[in-house]
Amino acid sequence: MRVGRVLLGNPVVAASGCFGFGAEYGEVYDISRLGAICTKGLTLRPRAGNPPPRLWETRCGLLNSIGLDNPGVEAFLREELPRLKRTGAVVIANVWGASPEEYEQVVQALASSPVDAIELNLSCPNVPGNGIPGRDAAATAEVVGRARAVARGKPLWAKLPPEAPAGLVAVAQAAQEAGADAVCAANSFPALAVDIRTGRPVFANVVAGLSGPAIKPLALRIVYELSREVDIPVVGIGGITTWEDAVEFIMAGAHAIQIGTANFLDPYAGPRIVDGLRAFMEARGLGSWEEIRGCAHR
Amino acid sequence: MPCLSTVPVAANEEVGPGAFLLRAEGDFPAAPGQFYLLRAWDRDPPLSRPMSVFDRKCGQISFLIFVRGQGTRRLAGLRPGDPLTLFGPLGTPVRPRGGRMALVGGGSGIAPLYLAAKEFRTAGEVDAFLGFRDRPFLVPLFQEVASRVHVASEVGAGGVKGVVTEIFRPHGYDACYACGPDGMLERVWQACRSAGVPLWVFLEERMACGVGACRGCAVRTVGGFRLVCRDGPAFPAEEVIWDG
Repeated sequence: MRVGRVLLGNPVVAASGCFGFGAEYGEVYDISRLGAICTKGLTLRPRAGNPPPRLWETRCGLLNSIGLDNPGVEAFLREELPRLKRTGAVVIANVWGASPEEYEQVVQALASSPVDAIELNLSCPNVPGNGIPGRDAAATAEVVGRARAVARGKPLWAKLPPEAPAGLVAVAQAAQEAGADAVCAANSFPALAVDIRTGRPVFANVVAGLSGPAIKPLALRIVYELSREVDIPVVGIGGITTWEDAVEFIMAGAHAIQIGTANFLDPYAGPRIVDGLRAFMEARGLGSWEEIRGCAHR
Repeated sequence: MPCLSTVPVAANEEVGPGAFLLRAEGDFPAAPGQFYLLRAWDRDPPLSRPMSVFDRKCGQISFLIFVRGQGTRRLAGLRPGDPLTLFGPLGTPVRPRGGRMALVGGGSGIAPLYLAAKEFRTAGEVDAFLGFRDRPFLVPLFQEVASRVHVASEVGAGGVKGVVTEIFRPHGYDACYACGPDGMLERVWQACRSAGVPLWVFLEERMACGVGACRGCAVRTVGGFRLVCRDGPAFPAEEVIWDG
């Protein structure tokens, strides 16, 4: 199957930030069984990330404030990518920049590497300042356009936030017009936890990203709306925990799905969803996902 | 190489106030310092609970669970035959330095020290210093594997009345290993540092993946953030940046 120009063995992709650089779960199972792996978000220089605590549980959900803790794109290319490619996995490098220029520089560094695609993280909720270009159509167009110009034909996926003041459809359309091959929706929801012992926000950065089963219906609605309004593929993300969740996203219009927090509920969530989807296809006699993709719109 | 398996609970006994010794059948590998992610529920709470291995022997593994929140309450409520899911072993084992070694545990910090005492005694002599809030428990078990066991109770329900840092003296030891609340660890470190005795501390942080993939369980060290799940849980105390 395909997401635009990226060929995947199945529609189940490991979401960025929840799967490290693959090697961590590679000790648990053969990660090439997944459709693809999105790496931890990469920045131009190494980033230490946010101070602890970085995690907080809520009912059926998880707040995180990791803050793009990563070794930088050069260390990734030197140390992590060769190891990840050897597993046979399809590799999608997730990229974040503090400015449009930094996005461009990181994409440039990856353009001639063997990564299979680049996912522009336009939506990290956990960095102070202007870290979320995906909230604005013009800012999205600028980042995607600059990345497109230096990506040497690498497929570009734009990972969007769950909300944008002037509407997410306009942002997705801007990403498409600027040359994105797919949009991924959505990143974690900006959320808050207060520690009732101290009366202060739990996280140093105050706002953190909410993920997990709690957000699934919200993300599903976003995928449903976007897939109706853009021509490029939509990759669904948000609380997908079972193969049934994944089928809902495909029926709502997703070309592929990403799993993040589900890995923490069950380290084998990825292969279990792959197997569940395959069994569903066989049981329904489906030759391809195209037969049911977006059927919820009809 | 961590494995995931679901096995029936063999026993779950309240061994002290709010402390449960949870046993499961199966040949689960574990070295001192290693832990398993435990769960016995579906989606809520989302995260599994990281638990040090209390003991392992042929065909059985046990965890000492202290009730703190909804996850540990669920684990404490398990009955024989209930399914328990274990993912591990995780973490980097801590090695015995040899010679005279002291293990210092406060409260739930005694949980990883029994396996350490049992394994370390083949490399040298092991003493244990155990601090309890209330009535001391599991002391006879520690007495079987440690040369000397010193006990403190905050309310004076057994041993010396006070906290474990009041009965622990690092002098004469070649290495110390401590687990407990941050304030206790910092005081143990101050004592070890002034006595020139190397110390390993077992750290705790909220944890999601357990394998180093999510970077959620970061702690501050002189070398930058390191991960409790992969780089620890035991760290050389001189590398830790103490908040207090």
